[in-house]
Amino acid sequence: MMTKQVRYEALVKALHGDLYRYAYWLCHEKQVAEDLVQETFLRAWRALDSLKDEKAAKSWLITILRRENARRFERKRFDMSEYEEATITDTQSVTTEQQLENHWLREKISQLPPEYSEPLILQVLGGFSGEDIATMLDLNKNTVMTRLFRARNQLKEALEAEPVKRGMYNG
Amino acid sequence: MDDLQFRRAIYADPNNQDAETIAAQQNDASKKQFAQEICQLDEKIMRALQVPVPEGLSAKLILRQTLASHQVQKRKTRVHLALAASVAIVGGLMLNFMQFSSAYTNLGDYALAHVYHEQGSFANNAGNQVTLSSLNKKMAAFDGNFSKTLGNLIFADYCRFDGMKSLHLVFQGITSPVTVFIVPKNKQLSFSPTFNDNKLFGSSLEFNRSNIIVVADKNESLGQWQKNISETVSWSI
Repeated sequence: MMTKQVRYEALVKALHGDLYRYAYWLCHEKQVAEDLVQETFLRAWRALDSLKDEKAAKSWLITILRRENARRFERKRFDMSEYEEATITDTQSVTTEQQLENHWLREKISQLPPEYSEPLILQVLGGFSGEDIATMLDLNKNTVMTRLFRARNQLKEALEAEPVKRGMYNG
Repeated sequence: MDDLQFRRAIYADPNNQDAETIAAQQNDASKKQFAQEICQLDEKIMRALQVPVPEGLSAKLILRQTLASHQVQKRKTRVHLALAASVAIVGGLMLNFMQFSSAYTNLGDYALAHVYHEQGSFANNAGNQVTLSSLNKKMAAFDGNFSKTLGNLIFADYCRFDGMKSLHLVFQGITSPVTVFIVPKNKQLSFSPTFNDNKLFGSSLEFNRSNIIVVADKNESLGQWQKNISETVSWSI
């Protein structure tokens, strides 16, 4: 019993940050992301004995989280009217150039279609390889690579298209 | 590797460690620059993706799990307790059933079984071991009294006759000991006036509060024994 507890706590400490960020980029809402992570870890606790390979823990948790997220949509069935993704809240005060850029890029990332942003987040945040992402998302590797290509391509184009608009105009 | 292929590969994975893409970068400065640009973009994306994690989220996660598993454990202990209690009850009932319920339905069957069980304990020629007065002392428990002895009494003591306290007498017989039981009346075993198997014969006498059962082999005259008993025994009220 105790070793299970220890394993669980280690898992939480090591991976809750990554998982929260991943959840956040899935649903774009802080509170929902937190709920998703809580639900995911609770499920993980119940099924912890089925996790044999600790190295696979991250992708295992992400799989649970994705399922949990899908379930959220089953439950709610809210009408999928488009709402402005750009209304993502960022409570951090936007002061430095760096933060300004982050904020701007966040908007761009959340404007990407989910099928493009998801592999990108998994690759950049999760550090997963193309094959890993392909298995997690149940796609073939070429599709994943194409989507990654398009995601970066779009971001780069966006970045190049409006460099003048961002930043502060002092003076 | 042509330019388009290279771009695709870099876009898909800027940290591509493919031998081909690395070679392409080394041979072409513009490709190398492009790769660096995309790496920078990736760093920016990385920074942008690092949304702040709510403070204390890990503590919350651990707390929630601890509470949940505590509840489960509480439920488990309750279930275990209930299980243990059920097992104890079933065990108790079984014990009760085995000890106090009889496998025999009538006096005769039980008497025969009892005699066979103790067959080896008594030798027919042991002589008179128990006096009439000590027999009558024991009989007092059944409010009975023998006016004279019925023969050589080898053994007289209380015993359990299908869970009832009864008096077990063994007399010297012609070829083998004659067993007499004085048993309190009981509804559990039905009264059987005579009974026998291929070796032993038995007969029961019914009195007010007790039955007297005689078991002997075929050389004995059960009728005579019954007559003797009826004549000598008297019951106080």
